[in-house]
Amino acid sequence: MKENPNMDELLSSFIDGELPARQQTEVQRLIAHDEKIAQRLRQLQKCKILLSSLPVTEAPPQILENVKASLAGRTLLVEQPTAFDEHLGARHLLGRKLFAAAAMLGLVGILTAVVYTIVAPTVPQGPVAVEPRELPPKVEVVEPAPIIVVAAPFSGRLELRTSYLSAVVAFINRAIEDNVPSDEWIASDQSDVREPHALICSSESFNLLLAELGNIWDKLDSATLFVDTEVFGQRVVVDAVTAEQIAGIVNQDDSKRRIEVAKDFAVLNNIAEYLPGREILTAIDDTTVGLITPPKPVLTSNQKTIKKSAIGAEADKNVRLTITVTASD
Amino acid sequence: MAEVANINVDDAVLVRQCRQGDSAAMERLILKYQNRIYNVILKICADHDDAAELTQETFVKVIENIDNFQGRSSFYTWAFRIAVNLTLNYCQRNARFGFSSLDAEQVRYNSQPGRVLKEFLSDDSSPDPVAMAENRELCEIAVESLKKLDDAQRAVVVLRDIEDMSYAQIANVLDIELGTVRSRLSRGRKKLRQILEAILQ
Repeated sequence: MKENPNMDELLSSFIDGELPARQQTEVQRLIAHDEKIAQRLRQLQKCKILLSSLPVTEAPPQILENVKASLAGRTLLVEQPTAFDEHLGARHLLGRKLFAAAAMLGLVGILTAVVYTIVAPTVPQGPVAVEPRELPPKVEVVEPAPIIVVAAPFSGRLELRTSYLSAVVAFINRAIEDNVPSDEWIASDQSDVREPHALICSSESFNLLLAELGNIWDKLDSATLFVDTEVFGQRVVVDAVTAEQIAGIVNQDDSKRRIEVAKDFAVLNNIAEYLPGREILTAIDDTTVGLITPPKPVLTSNQKTIKKSAIGAEADKNVRLTITVTASD
Repeated sequence: MAEVANINVDDAVLVRQCRQGDSAAMERLILKYQNRIYNVILKICADHDDAAELTQETFVKVIENIDNFQGRSSFYTWAFRIAVNLTLNYCQRNARFGFSSLDAEQVRYNSQPGRVLKEFLSDDSSPDPVAMAENRELCEIAVESLKKLDDAQRAVVVLRDIEDMSYAQIANVLDIELGTVRSRLSRGRKKLRQILEAILQ
């Protein structure tokens, strides 16, 4: 009889009782009729018995404790990073983000400053430039060079033209003698009318003088005031200036304001020169309108005005004016 | 073993309690199965220290993954699957069983153990399991013969002949087909028979 190639598998399953009933019966029939197969079956059963008879070895007693210790250790390892991730880790991450953002902002600021330094136009250091103004033709235009405005004494020149030269000069000399201390002015030579009167006096003395000069203003054909600036050779020219306007210019608190007022008067006088009838100029000259009026001396007692000594007035000498009187052509 | 006998609580209850963090339930599960699992692992890897370590690792994995146990098989089958897979992986990493020819086996056992085996196999009467378990020579032959099988065959033979699992359970534990269980078991037993025959000759 030819042996079934799966005989070992059938016999193995047979001894385990894992064959279907039909195959179980077939194997039983084979065993009964084939001693060789029966012998092989006995050997398999002996092997099975040999293995199944092996004594059961008890587990070491420390397994339970080792398992518990191992589980506890792994729990700690698992829980610790979780706590770290949720709290400290989040804070640390937030802190790093803020730090990075601050660093980025700082870097951007530095870069901006560097770029601005490179591309920005150079700003001249020092005095502020005053934008030149478009002036009418008769106004002496100040050059566009910057006008340096600083606190300084008034400095200027007053040019008077008159048809009554001798009378005017004599009046001026007398007015100066009466109102300005002798050491504050240099008298002109009566023989040469073009010799200027150089005044270095206080505002108070000048106002007294100016108030008196106002009495001869109607004898003048022209009066021009040149207001010096800090820039050498640059002056603001006020044509047809009145005594009140001179007082308004000289009595300003600082030279900046002085120059601004002089410019305003220059423009105003120039416009008025072209207006028919000179109504504006008349209106300006009208003291009742309330424009700038030079303070006139008022005696409050019988005591005569005491001229200030030269030594005491030295500190108040903040008016430097040169007065020239010329004859009209 | 007495501790195991005293535990009559159903596995499903213990598993549920263990999932809820009941450490007492966890201890009961370990005590209930530690000897069986240790014994199977020892028979497969044949080293007491390795078996103890693998048993411990098996229970750690069982407890850690107990939430993943879906109850499709018994807890016992699920735990054995973890144990056998761990052991087989360990054996593959640490292949220590040398392959010796059957002639070498003949020389080695051509002494007192060989005669004991011959008497055992030639005796047609039903052997006494207790007497056999106490026979150290026979036990040594059985263990050493078992070592000669390859890992896959050894696992199937151990689960069937030592742990007395059904083919279906073995297939479930090893995650293989039923026919594969049948063929591996057949080849393993055939090889064992050849080893024993070589010892006798």
